[in-house]
Amino acid sequence: MPATTENNQGSFLGRISIRRNQVLSMDGTHDQEMEDLELFQKHVADRFSELLSSTTEDSSGDALLSISWLRRLLDEFLCCEAEFKAVMLMGRDPSQIAKPPLDKLLPEFLDRVVKSLDICNAVTLGLDAVKNLQRLAEIAVAALDTTPLGDGQVRRAKKALAGLIAAMLHEDNANAKGTERNRSFGRRSGNNAGSNSKDRVRSLSWTMARNWSAAKQIHAMMSNLNAPRGAEASGLAQPIYIMSTVLVFVMWALVAAVPCQERNGLGTHFPLPRQLAWAQPMISLQEKIAEEWKKKEKKGNVGLLEEMQRMEKLGQSLVDFAESFQFPPETERLDEVKKQVEELGEICKRMDEGLEPMQQQIREVFHRVVRSRTEFLVVLDQAGKLSAPTV
Amino acid sequence: MMESLPLETAEKIILRWDSTASEDARDKMIFAGDRDEADLYLQAVDEIQRSLSSVSVSEKVNSAIQIAMARLEDEFRNILISHTNPFDPTTEDEPSQTLDPPSSSSSPRHPHNDSDENDEVSQTSLLRFHSEGAASSVNSSYRSNSCIREIDLIPSDAVYDLRCIAERMVSSGYLRECIQVYGSVRKSSVDASFRKLGIEKLSIGDVQRLEWEQLENKIRRWIRAAKVCVRTLFASEKKLCEQIFDGVGTAIDDACFMETVKGPAIQLFNFAEAISISRRSPEKLFKILDLHDALTELMPDIDIVFDSKSSESIRVQAAEILSRLGEAARGILSEFENAVLREPSRVPVPGGTIHPLTRYVMNYISLISDYKVTLNELIVSKPSTGSRYSGDPGIPDLDLSEFEEKTPLDVHLIWIIVILQFNLDGKSKHYKDASLAHLFVMNNVHYIVQKVRGSPELREMIGDDYLKKLTGKFRQAATSYQRATWVRVLYCLRDEGLHVSGGFSSGVSKSALRERFKTFNAMFEEVHRTQAVWLIPDSQLREELRISISEKLIPAYRSFLGRFRSHIESARHPENYIKYSVEELEDAVLDFFEGTPVSQHLRRRSE
Repeated sequence: MPATTENNQGSFLGRISIRRNQVLSMDGTHDQEMEDLELFQKHVADRFSELLSSTTEDSSGDALLSISWLRRLLDEFLCCEAEFKAVMLMGRDPSQIAKPPLDKLLPEFLDRVVKSLDICNAVTLGLDAVKNLQRLAEIAVAALDTTPLGDGQVRRAKKALAGLIAAMLHEDNANAKGTERNRSFGRRSGNNAGSNSKDRVRSLSWTMARNWSAAKQIHAMMSNLNAPRGAEASGLAQPIYIMSTVLVFVMWALVAAVPCQERNGLGTHFPLPRQLAWAQPMISLQEKIAEEWKKKEKKGNVGLLEEMQRMEKLGQSLVDFAESFQFPPETERLDEVKKQVEELGEICKRMDEGLEPMQQQIREVFHRVVRSRTEFLVVLDQAGKLSAPTV
Repeated sequence: MMESLPLETAEKIILRWDSTASEDARDKMIFAGDRDEADLYLQAVDEIQRSLSSVSVSEKVNSAIQIAMARLEDEFRNILISHTNPFDPTTEDEPSQTLDPPSSSSSPRHPHNDSDENDEVSQTSLLRFHSEGAASSVNSSYRSNSCIREIDLIPSDAVYDLRCIAERMVSSGYLRECIQVYGSVRKSSVDASFRKLGIEKLSIGDVQRLEWEQLENKIRRWIRAAKVCVRTLFASEKKLCEQIFDGVGTAIDDACFMETVKGPAIQLFNFAEAISISRRSPEKLFKILDLHDALTELMPDIDIVFDSKSSESIRVQAAEILSRLGEAARGILSEFENAVLREPSRVPVPGGTIHPLTRYVMNYISLISDYKVTLNELIVSKPSTGSRYSGDPGIPDLDLSEFEEKTPLDVHLIWIIVILQFNLDGKSKHYKDASLAHLFVMNNVHYIVQKVRGSPELREMIGDDYLKKLTGKFRQAATSYQRATWVRVLYCLRDEGLHVSGGFSSGVSKSALRERFKTFNAMFEEVHRTQAVWLIPDSQLREELRISISEKLIPAYRSFLGRFRSHIESARHPENYIKYSVEELEDAVLDFFEGTPVSQHLRRRSE
């Protein structure tokens, strides 16, 4: 009954099969283990190398923190996770992962996993907010794509673009409180499109729990993230450390890119092991992202998502055009605008095609880490290595 | 039927209401005022739109349409905002909500609570649960038919206006603006309704940190709120979208509906999701089953409300959560079985009475039998049992072939009882006194039997065959006890070894006889003193065992006295040797297993 054995993976049948393996895998597999650990390291390094190389200026690959780059990042994460689980659990006496120092390191890792779940949810909600930006941009594109271009269309575009830009620049704790309901109409100014849309984006993005902060969450995940030293470095502590680092990095990158609740203070501090070979590509990526972050910090940024950044630039330029527009328009200007509108339309298309699948990928990440966590917990529980759970 | 307006007039009307141009236009809302004014405006818009399709479109018309659309957008927003009354859960709550099933009453339900009470009380509380269960038909109330009840969130004249506006906005290509405004206003309204329903925004981390008892309350409230949310709140929002947007362009009602409820729906389900991934421990089983049942009951409604392609992810997520809850239940049952097997306490229970583990486990099993409908669906594989499988002597054996006919859940219950006994057997070995060890086993197995007999569901699930085995076991323990204690006592009262051939006495060795009496007295006194403190909580069992002891002891003593008392009484200080009359012995037996000490000084036989 295959279906039921899957369901029982964590219980009796799962235990029984692990016990059988225990008998089989005695000495002689130590070398195999070492090889597995080294391979895991190498694969992690390779994967992040790939991700890094696609972001260089001259490559035709995905730009850093673009939708497609993030999607690849998520894919690579899933690959790392699968390999990690195999290294830790397959063909191995399960009680091994309950021995010191793993009996402390593994629960710490699982705690980080739980924290990452809220990040997944926050980022998914943030992508919904990006969809709203996409919609505003689409309005502008639709309006400016008409010929002849008249006052009406330009005004329409201006309204949408002003909203778009305002939404992208507002900080989380901006004074744009209140929802649609609370604005008083009597005091509206004609050009309140700005505050209109600020409210729009804010209230359109469903918020997480009160006091929840993505930045704080990431920082909490970073605590106790220390490379194993000495004898520990050759055992299973190493892959746990590597996987923890990968997990934190991926979450950090997502939060840097996507608008979510309370990113302020995410900062650029990220304790990566400078001396370890496998971490070098990740370190380079981290430095690049940190640079981007610094550039935008003053203005306040809602997310470094590459498409959003380009959208903002284009939006600003088009708003300038819209503000100085007079009918009838000059042709050279029009040609320039046309190009920009096309580019904006292209970005919208990328978002249209990529945001939803990205949300699904994040959901997949959610499932995977939950499932792995459950499996680890079963083994740890059986070894009596877990303190009584608070929850 | 109004006559069509001349284009110029239409343009004038549009311009008059340009809010960027005049203070007056800003301060008033068309649709909040005179009905005719609104109709006129709409007519003007229609006229402008009509003229757009003519061959040459003037710049003025182009401009006018944008002004009109901007205005309509504001009007649309305003109408929506004036009709966002948060949903009142007190009036909308389902009247058919029957008694809460037993699980949602508070702490007495918790298997731990009976461990310190005596049998009677725990019996009563279990009975209370059973009668409640019967009254509210536990599982059927959670499986009642879908009852979606939409309400009208916005009065129909406002809906009509909204629809009029939407039609014009969409046909002018301003669909996106429309969706944007609609979504943001209605979403705020849903947010407010959520607050009224008491739905909290808790992160997964928050849920993991809370005490389970607090979570039980939250689960209870969530179940109530979720039903209202899905069946009334979301369903009504959907209806509203249909009322306003149905037929106005393609799938706009779906888009607006998702704009409105996607976030809230995810927030709602996030709590159930967080519960489904919480660390597994036995006491969580029943609330998780409650959550599972509630979500199962809601699934058809969820499927109906979220039936469009764009809302597929929500349906999928709900199904995933349901599946996880089922997995959690399975995992917890497995955890529970482990915990029973490995329960490590070695301090022997004083007096050999019922071990708290026994009480806990039997209460737990009893609760399981209450949830058997759901659990029978979830538990699909039988336990893989026995040391034959694993080579581990720390696991008892159970021959599953005897239980071919039984459901996997039933077999699990039997397995749990097997493990419990196994554990208890181990604990019994910590008693220094072998008799007490047997008594302990007897007491506890008897307790198990009584619990099973006392519950029709349990009895049916465990089956009479196994019940018979259990009965045999405690009877066996009783016999073992008797052998361990009384063989040597009765040995003192045997005939052999007392007679000698020849000599002056009538063939009885007086010294040997005196020894016998002394030994008997000492032994009996010790046994009496020791075992009075032992406890058999069940009065009937206590009585039976005493009777069984008496049946062997008293006739033997009576006969011994009868045959040999004269020899003692003819010598000096008979009272040193014959300490008990038969009646005194009979009375002394009544002291056994009372759990209270007797005074050290036994009444001597009165001279």
